[in-house]
Amino acid sequence: MRVPQGQQPPPNASVVYLDYAATTPVAPEVAARMAECLTREGTFGNPGSAGHVYGEAASASVEAARAQVAAAAGAHAADVVFTSGATEANNLAIFGTAQYHRDSGRHIVTARTEHKSVLDPCRELERRGWSVTYLKPDADGVLDPARVAGAVRPETVLVSVMHVNNETGVIQDVGAIAQLCARSGHARMHVDAAQSVGKCRVDFAEFGIDLMSVSAHKVYGPKGAGALLVSRRRGAHLTPILYGGGQEGSLRSGTVATHQAVGMGAAFELASAMFGTERERVAALAERLWRRLREIGGVMLNGAGAARVPHVLNVSFEGVEGESLLAAVQPQLAVSTGSACMSATQEPSYVLRALGRDDRLAESSLRFSLGRFTSEADIDTAATVVTRAVERLRRIAGT
Amino acid sequence: MSYNELTRRHFEHPVRPGTLAGPDCYRGAAGSRSAGTWVQFDVRLARNGTCVREVRFLAFGCPHVIAAAELVAAEGEGGAPEPRLPQSIHSLRERLDAPVEKLGRLFVVEDAWVAALRSAAGRSQAPAGLGEPPEGG
Repeated sequence: MRVPQGQQPPPNASVVYLDYAATTPVAPEVAARMAECLTREGTFGNPGSAGHVYGEAASASVEAARAQVAAAAGAHAADVVFTSGATEANNLAIFGTAQYHRDSGRHIVTARTEHKSVLDPCRELERRGWSVTYLKPDADGVLDPARVAGAVRPETVLVSVMHVNNETGVIQDVGAIAQLCARSGHARMHVDAAQSVGKCRVDFAEFGIDLMSVSAHKVYGPKGAGALLVSRRRGAHLTPILYGGGQEGSLRSGTVATHQAVGMGAAFELASAMFGTERERVAALAERLWRRLREIGGVMLNGAGAARVPHVLNVSFEGVEGESLLAAVQPQLAVSTGSACMSATQEPSYVLRALGRDDRLAESSLRFSLGRFTSEADIDTAATVVTRAVERLRRIAGT
Repeated sequence: MSYNELTRRHFEHPVRPGTLAGPDCYRGAAGSRSAGTWVQFDVRLARNGTCVREVRFLAFGCPHVIAAAELVAAEGEGGAPEPRLPQSIHSLRERLDAPVEKLGRLFVVEDAWVAALRSAAGRSQAPAGLGEPPEGG
């Protein structure tokens, strides 16, 4: 098949994909549901056009999806505000809270290991005169809830802590942190849960969280779809960052993309249905991989002492250089370096550095993230490829 | 990052990693592992000292550094034992299609090569395998 100019051919199917924390393929049943919303025969109408049958059909599809997302996250349907993804949801949570509560305080608490879509809005607020406390986790990447509570000041309006770290898979006790925030009476709790749904228990209402960001493409849904859960019960208030149309309870103007919302709803429902069996299966595969990698020697599982989601293994390899390690495995494996240290100008992983790893060890780390289509054969291939690469590079380096 | 065919070949299948030992062998190293790039060359001179008979290297670095070390080692064998690269550093960078930001790393390769050949030329320093530290810097 000819590939149009400027487009890459599809990746070689023989390359083992172990980068499910970066993104996942859309599940076939999800893609089918989305396709139904795109064409003339399907629910292509504008969900905001309440006056005719096309609009009402689309609106019904969106509302059904809203209920599915809410059910998977332990929220009420009315809490769900569809966005273009978790990045937009994080921006809405931070800037929206900051703007709404700017007269009651201008301080935010977060962690050094948060995703850039939390850290960058915080830095922008600092440029605008806000104060931000960036907490350092312990060597396993865990934030002590008491330390978070200790950082809350009378002028703190928001505490933003991610549930599952995208690089290490470490789970924070966001329920405990939310309880302590609630006791302050003024600090709202935002959780970036982009990596959580379908991977570990998430219960927005029970955890007592005010705002929570979720993403579709991490759970076999489409890219460009996410949501911010805004707790109506807890009286969470935001100022919108987009205007024009007043959709999504005036919190996110713009025509709701029916196919994206429907895809997200279907993906979340599927992830919830498969949660128990899938978690067990992936945990066994991850254990199989770690057993093999440990045999190499001089390896360190980042976050080993913490509660982690089973599908992410972040492993540092002593005595090898990071870019060479990635170059050696990538012809056969699709994995990522936490560091993304792909050129001389890029920095090692700030997450691993926050955990106390030195630059060299942070650079020579690989994140293996397993998923629904990972097989035992994939794991055995990955272990063999990495073992050979590390041993070869150590031989060349004389380490 | 993508690598050209020459880089990939020498990175994936280098034939000269290792060390040499003996009275005609000399060692030079540059860089440091803690800074991300370290290279060591061992050279064995011909008995009459007029040419480099054999070269081995160790390299801790990115694929361009490993490929450059292999290339310098290969092209240094049979050459005159003079403390300069068989080709210019810029020519080496171009052949390997290394980004300009990596020039500093390639200088480490050059420094290690020059150090080994200077050691050979001086013949007063300790020959390879006689207790030199495994890593400079």
